[in-house]
Amino acid sequence: MEFESNYEIATTADFIYSRKFTRVALQFPDNLLKDATRVVRALKAKLLSLRDSGEEHNGDNNDVGLYVMADTTYGSCCVDEVGASHINADCVIHYGHTCLSPTSTLPAFFVFGKTPINVSNCVENLSKNALANEKPILVLYGLEYAHAIPHIREALKEALSSDVSGPKLEINYANVMCTVINPSENHKSINEPASGSPADDISGAVTGTRYAIGGLTWNIPEGHKMEDYLLFWIGSDNSAFANVVLTFNSSEIVRYDAAEERLVTDVSHRLRILKRRYYLVEKAKDANIIGILVGTLGVAGYLDMIHQMKELITKAGKKTYTFAMGRPNPAKLANFPECDVFITVSCAQTALLDSKEFFAPVITPFEAMLAFGRGRQWTGAYVMEFRDLISSSPVEVRNQAEEARFSFIRGRYVEDTDQQETFNDEQGEEGALALVTAAEKALQLRDGNVNHLVKGTAKSGAEFFLGRSYHGLEIHGDGSSPEPYIVGRSGKASGYEDEKSKQES
Amino acid sequence: MVKFTADELRRIMDYKHNIRNMSVIAHVDHGKSTLTDSLVAAAGIIAQEVAGDVRMTDTRADEAERGITIKSTGISLYYAMSDDSLKSYGGERQGNEYLINLIDSPGHVDFSSEVTAALRITDGALVVVDCVEGVCVQTETVLRQALGERIRPVLTVNKMDRCFLELQVDGEEAYQTFQRVIENANVIMATYEDPLLGDVQVYPEKGTVAFSAGLHGWAFTLTNFARMYASKFGVDESKMMERLWGENFFDAATKKWSSKNTGSPSCKRGFVQFCYEPIKQIIGICMNDQKDKLWPMLQKLNIALKSDEKDLMGKALMKRVMQTWLPASDALLEMMIFHLPSPSKAQKYRVENLYEGPLDDQYAAAIRNCDPEGPLMLYVSKMIPASDKGRFFAFGRVFSGKVSTGQKVRIMGPNFVPGEKKDLYVKSVQRTVIWMGKKQETVEDVPCGNTVAMVGLDQYITKNATLTNEKEVDAHPIRAMKFSVSPVVRVAVQCKVASDLPKLVEGLKRLAKSDPMVVCTIEESGEHIIAGAGELHLEICLKDLQEDFMGGAEIVKSDPVVSFRETVLEKSCRTVMSKSPNKHNRLYMEARPLEEGLPEAIDDGRIGPRDDPKSRSKILAEEFGWDKDLAKKIWCFGPETTGPNMVVDMCKGVQYLNEIKDSVVAGFQWASKEGALAEENMRGICFEVCDVVLHADAIHRGGGQVIPTARRVIYASQLTAKPRLLEPVYLVEIQAPEQALGGIYSVLNQKRGHVFEEIQRPGTPLYNIKAYLPVIESFGFSSTLRAATSGQAFPQCVFDHWDMMSSDPLETGSQAAQLVVDIRKRKGLKEQMTPLSEYEDKL
Repeated sequence: MEFESNYEIATTADFIYSRKFTRVALQFPDNLLKDATRVVRALKAKLLSLRDSGEEHNGDNNDVGLYVMADTTYGSCCVDEVGASHINADCVIHYGHTCLSPTSTLPAFFVFGKTPINVSNCVENLSKNALANEKPILVLYGLEYAHAIPHIREALKEALSSDVSGPKLEINYANVMCTVINPSENHKSINEPASGSPADDISGAVTGTRYAIGGLTWNIPEGHKMEDYLLFWIGSDNSAFANVVLTFNSSEIVRYDAAEERLVTDVSHRLRILKRRYYLVEKAKDANIIGILVGTLGVAGYLDMIHQMKELITKAGKKTYTFAMGRPNPAKLANFPECDVFITVSCAQTALLDSKEFFAPVITPFEAMLAFGRGRQWTGAYVMEFRDLISSSPVEVRNQAEEARFSFIRGRYVEDTDQQETFNDEQGEEGALALVTAAEKALQLRDGNVNHLVKGTAKSGAEFFLGRSYHGLEIHGDGSSPEPYIVGRSGKASGYEDEKSKQES
Repeated sequence: MVKFTADELRRIMDYKHNIRNMSVIAHVDHGKSTLTDSLVAAAGIIAQEVAGDVRMTDTRADEAERGITIKSTGISLYYAMSDDSLKSYGGERQGNEYLINLIDSPGHVDFSSEVTAALRITDGALVVVDCVEGVCVQTETVLRQALGERIRPVLTVNKMDRCFLELQVDGEEAYQTFQRVIENANVIMATYEDPLLGDVQVYPEKGTVAFSAGLHGWAFTLTNFARMYASKFGVDESKMMERLWGENFFDAATKKWSSKNTGSPSCKRGFVQFCYEPIKQIIGICMNDQKDKLWPMLQKLNIALKSDEKDLMGKALMKRVMQTWLPASDALLEMMIFHLPSPSKAQKYRVENLYEGPLDDQYAAAIRNCDPEGPLMLYVSKMIPASDKGRFFAFGRVFSGKVSTGQKVRIMGPNFVPGEKKDLYVKSVQRTVIWMGKKQETVEDVPCGNTVAMVGLDQYITKNATLTNEKEVDAHPIRAMKFSVSPVVRVAVQCKVASDLPKLVEGLKRLAKSDPMVVCTIEESGEHIIAGAGELHLEICLKDLQEDFMGGAEIVKSDPVVSFRETVLEKSCRTVMSKSPNKHNRLYMEARPLEEGLPEAIDDGRIGPRDDPKSRSKILAEEFGWDKDLAKKIWCFGPETTGPNMVVDMCKGVQYLNEIKDSVVAGFQWASKEGALAEENMRGICFEVCDVVLHADAIHRGGGQVIPTARRVIYASQLTAKPRLLEPVYLVEIQAPEQALGGIYSVLNQKRGHVFEEIQRPGTPLYNIKAYLPVIESFGFSSTLRAATSGQAFPQCVFDHWDMMSSDPLETGSQAAQLVVDIRKRKGLKEQMTPLSEYEDKL
């Protein structure tokens, strides 16, 4: 029975049945894949029983097709709409950890799962923390703990009411935005800072600023800022938490680790990430060739974002290439050594890719705006959701009397690509012709410039390739006789046969 | 003080033969600024309306407080020679008026970069040496630098007053001391044989050595005395000069000259008899207030004192008398005018040092001839903060042509390459400015041979640049300056209030501009780093940053840190192999240390990526015992393609090897920048590619497969070759009396330093100690030393070399391992090093 409730079989079946979906894609992350068959079986049974108990006259639509999707191309937190459309699905049921990013074409139903939590321990920690702190508390949580929040709220109320002497505590809870996303409706609700949405906070404030992050939403009464609150996060130290820490980096944050049942007050390692991102922004400023990684094909507005990025970078006099690449890893990105930096356009929780293994830094659209938009400065504010960027910042027109840019990576002023030149080129020629001219230019400059292999010196991919020592096929002029046959290697890549014998001997 | 209007000053600027650009260089505390002050007091040009006596150099409050010069300060002097004294001057001249542009530079080694910047725009140098302390480390350093720039030196033996008042040495002993000082200086100069510059050694008998007492404002050259006595003895002035120095003795009893001491008590050396003794006598009389004896003597010497000055007593009287008799300004300025070259003379031979382009093009010709009608060639040597916050003057020297207000100029930065558009701007000069004392005056234009400050270019110049006319697209830049110190000490700074970050960023940009040496960068962890030459330098930089460039916003600084280097001790114990992510490609490599001296040769640019392969293999074969063929197989240097590490191809007959070369090189550039131990730069490692197994399909051996693999195999080979840390080491020179030696030794011991030279200065109780001291131990060294020697020892530290730390960083608990942990922690890395097994693969 626990299995059924964990996977919310009943609600899911209800959702499918009531909306009369016939082809349903079930999206599982890798760690839940093992349960997929049981879920399908249970769902099928439930749907069948629903249909039997329901109106009989609807017999023409006799079977609901359930399809299991695994190994999603992009982050498993996003709804894989492309995958779902392969089977012409008309809705997606998403299991496990999610970023609740809005979808663009398909309705989606989310099953967060129910991770067990020790409610009393959590409440104890929470109340202790609340008493020790003067600030009002805002409780945020991982979606897998959403099921326990009403219990916690109740338990806390009880605990605090028994403590009569306690000062008046202000504890706010964030709500789960929704468990169903419909592509048609979400645009409205995102773009209007929904004032009419029902707010059932304890504080009872109806008007105020509405915040939404990673599927959670809450209101803050007017006159209050996020910095005034102590954020209490229930959940593990995952990407959702990182998202919260970075977005609200000026607020005080504590984390209750439900698995270990303890309070973690030191989240400085997350803030160190922020500094690291600052470094990456500085580094990106020195880049000449930028690769845009399309990290999602589902999150609404991703195309707008890519266009905006392209425009921004072109205006900055730099070159862009766009790559559609699922789950970028160092080896994949290193296939494009000409790119000095990559921008990944994806949902907020998969956007932070920082590993020393990457040959070139990978930054988010927000960071790209800081790096390539002139006159913008790192203020500490951080935006993860690219949707918040689309409307907020139109690409500004660069003024003429600008100064040379100081590069902190090189510790001196550096010149940026001559923009006028770039503009002229773009007016005159397009597409393939532009490439030819770029190559020509590179040809002219070639001698004396052996450093193209150092990052950030080439201005286009063509120029980079011309700087390489290897230019493709090498024709050996001497000896016209055909090469003799050579017996190749045999065996497996992990150790060819000739290598094995060498090892043994 | 000479009061001038800007127009009058501008007029003299056209007489290129009558200009002397010179810098004052010396060891710290040898009295440069004091001496300069006495010159300025007499001949400094100030704007007409500025009245009153103001100290001209050491303009900053902290300079006065610390008693040292921090920034070099330029000042113009005006001197009108009499026809009489110019009669023996053989060079070209236009009238009798002379303009001397003098730059007072700091003596502390931490600020040597200021000296370098000053030397670039001057043609002559006044080397100031303390007559007691003699030639010290910094004297030597700056002198070498000056000669390297083809700057002609003259010498002044300073602090003469100490001989008379403090030490009370007799004439012969003093002569010996002076002689030794001059000889020491000449030893250094003699090593710079230069047919174009000619003999650069200094000789008192030729008038290129002065004797001065900066504090009391008097000085003389033998010319002064020779002139005085020539008429009396009825001999030629030059003949008299020769007799006043060296092995020339005069017997007062017989009135005869001889070339050695006859032994009779009345026989004395010419210098002692005619120069030293009279001064000693006068000083003695003045100090003892024997005014009855004084007045007739003064009359004989033709010295007229004002009536109120006659009432002075003791030291004040002595000072006044000496200043009137032997004014420092006359002696020194005459020496400069006679013996230092004018711009037109100096640029004839300096053009080779200055100009990067072909020496037969029109720009070289214009510089050579110091042609005011030629194309503009101007070198900006430093940026000077202007009084309105945030702006800078670009300060430099016009080598040819004229720079004028409103002119459009091409700005060629240090990274400019002729024919490219990199680091190149065309902007107009908003104003050209000359300094008149502390006041800046705008002038229409400034002709070649002069120094100038320009407004409106500061946003395009970091530290230095070459300027030419807008149209002169073929001009090559003027060679960049080479600094003798390197920024090895670093601190991380952050602002106390997070929202001040934009201020910090802006402040750092300005700081980077204002100082020729400081480097402002950012660490991988996102911390802002300021790197300077030494502790004192950083202290000054931080103060400037906070007070001047950030408007007082509070900053937090970390403890000073030094950067280390990673190297290897031996050849890898085995050939290591790494597989590509797809397991289809394997790279086999070994690491070995580069031969001794090779990393330095690469640093100096003797060996580098741009060499002709033939000459490179010649050097490698002859000096470092490389195989000739192997030398041709160097794939690259790194990091940054020029660093002191390399990849050498040792493979035989590998298919597609060329194809992956670029990927291996890219991986190597990456790995050599961030070594396996603590992500510090590598140094002195040679990576040998032993064998390569590649997949037959090109798609499976692309960059994505090879670059990360090359990095891993490089790390693996580093870790198997006994990796070691290199730490930067200072050369410390300390001068102290004997009784302080004990304290010095104990402090050095405690700080892991070791003394390798201890010499007593001949004729003094002072010892010169040279020692090596790890930079990391040098923080607080100077103050500890002062405390341990009751202020008698003052160290000068300059980066010397990288020293290998003997302990094994791979052995837990060792000193090096602890250091690695500390560095990793600071950088925000995992404290544990990545183990070898992560990098090395097995079949």
